[in-house]
Amino acid sequence: MNTAFVQLRGLRKSYGTARTGIVAAVQGIDLDIHAGQLFGFLGANGAGKTTTIKMICGLIRPTAGTVSVDGVDIGRRRGAAMQRVGAVLEGTRNIHWPLSAWDNLLYFGHLKGMFGHTLRARAERLLRMLELWDRRDDLVGTFSRGMQQKVAIGCALIADPPLVMLDEPTLGLDVLAVVAVRRLIKALVEDEGKTVILTTHQLDMAEALCDRVAIINKGRIVTDQPVASLLALFREKTYRIKVEGCLTETAVASFGDVNVATVNGDTVLHGPIDQAEDLYDLVARLRVLGVRLLSVQETEPSLEDVFLQLLVAGDGEGV
Amino acid sequence: MMRTLLVVVSGEMRKALLMAWTYKTNTLIGLFTLGFIFIGIAFFVQGGVLDPAVLVTTLLGYLVWMYAALAVGDLSGGLGREMQAGTLEQMAMSPVPLGIVLLGRALANLVITTVQVVLMVVAMSLLFGIRLPLRWEMVPVLALTWVGILGFGYVIAGAMLVLKQVGSFTGLLNNALAFLNGSFLPVEDMPGWLASVSRTLPTTQGVVVLRKVTLSGDSLSAVWREGSLVGLLIHSACYVVVGGLVFGICERHARERGTLGQY
Repeated sequence: MNTAFVQLRGLRKSYGTARTGIVAAVQGIDLDIHAGQLFGFLGANGAGKTTTIKMICGLIRPTAGTVSVDGVDIGRRRGAAMQRVGAVLEGTRNIHWPLSAWDNLLYFGHLKGMFGHTLRARAERLLRMLELWDRRDDLVGTFSRGMQQKVAIGCALIADPPLVMLDEPTLGLDVLAVVAVRRLIKALVEDEGKTVILTTHQLDMAEALCDRVAIINKGRIVTDQPVASLLALFREKTYRIKVEGCLTETAVASFGDVNVATVNGDTVLHGPIDQAEDLYDLVARLRVLGVRLLSVQETEPSLEDVFLQLLVAGDGEGV
Repeated sequence: MMRTLLVVVSGEMRKALLMAWTYKTNTLIGLFTLGFIFIGIAFFVQGGVLDPAVLVTTLLGYLVWMYAALAVGDLSGGLGREMQAGTLEQMAMSPVPLGIVLLGRALANLVITTVQVVLMVVAMSLLFGIRLPLRWEMVPVLALTWVGILGFGYVIAGAMLVLKQVGSFTGLLNNALAFLNGSFLPVEDMPGWLASVSRTLPTTQGVVVLRKVTLSGDSLSAVWREGSLVGLLIHSACYVVVGGLVFGICERHARERGTLGQY
């Protein structure tokens, strides 16, 4: 885990001209992603995620800086680097709907220079793994969105690339398809030993799957840490206390920093409580008010809380 | 590396043929349309008569134009469709340069167009009694002409990568080619400036040489000595070199602007 499999150094990308106005989409990213990692690349729309992903794919030429995959500099040896990369890009079909699943896999295998028995055996293995073998001869245009996304992932994997990039792979999928794609992503790392770069707006998915996440804002990396460390940075004792019925406005005002909300006719108090004495004190005050205590629960911060704190509540300058 | 190139080109060719088969009804309707256009234009240009002896000269030019129109349409239009479908970026992630990948598409187009041309010749022969002399000398002349057409197609496809609106102009361009390449109106009868423009087009010289070897019965050595075949060779070589350069520059520009997959 010491060698950086994907290395970004001083990566910058600006669009436009002095006349039309220059937009700095990516502003000097340095990043090391190690082999076998499931790396989450998060950020709001327009933060620079897709531009960075496309620079790693060789689809966008950086204004400055370098990208190397498995030690191969994409700017200098694009062909060799492309043999090591498979990608499912955001918001596009990625595959040919008028072709069957089987023909799509063969086509993308040919594009990577594969042929003959090796290609057919790999295509069969992938279609079986994706549970699409029985539908291999059907046109992809007749598939559900989830099945199409599975074919797109299969096509990205056809040449067995060590690096797989998944840009919003669950966008527009229903719940069942999301679960299937999540399982597949997990299997790519655990069973196939791939290095995966995942961008997603589904932060619960990133939290559940990723070893490490980087959050990008306005083209700069705001934070880049293992998920557990990132959550720990924002961890504070937070409690969720539920009581029966509604509280009066005066009572609500007396709770200060604790958020008070009404949920289905009951009241939920939620907020940071550092000392055990403060918790006991709060419960005692509720007892004085004569309300019935339903539950007291200690809560953990989620990646979504961290994301919001960094980009919305914070100054977006990172930790 | 050469093996990878061949695999990629043959893979692209196979895909293009499979897609054409999926859309075979469209291809067939397109062929009927081309047939009707030919008869309609020939009818008006010849003053309301359809003389097989004159039609054969026109048909020969029209067939060459079909290769050009379908190749330009497929290379630029095909790229446009790939951009819209979001598959162009996947194509561009091949270890082989995008221009080489497109060669597979162009070869598939050559096969499909040849089938269409054969069907057209058979249909015209049956319907209007046009007798097109089939001579082996046609093959190298057509091949050389196609190389020039390919170069022209790469220029338009390259432009398409940078200026997405180019797709709207390919129909206009193809129609201009049909009227200016000598198929219907002899280049000699055009005004001087228009004749000069016509001679620079990718199919004009091919039509001239093809008529000589097919209709006049000239041998390849005769057209070589007389200079028209040399002219075609230089013409096609220039087009293919310019096409390759323009496409390469445009692809680089699109990668710099990050617009490769945008339509």
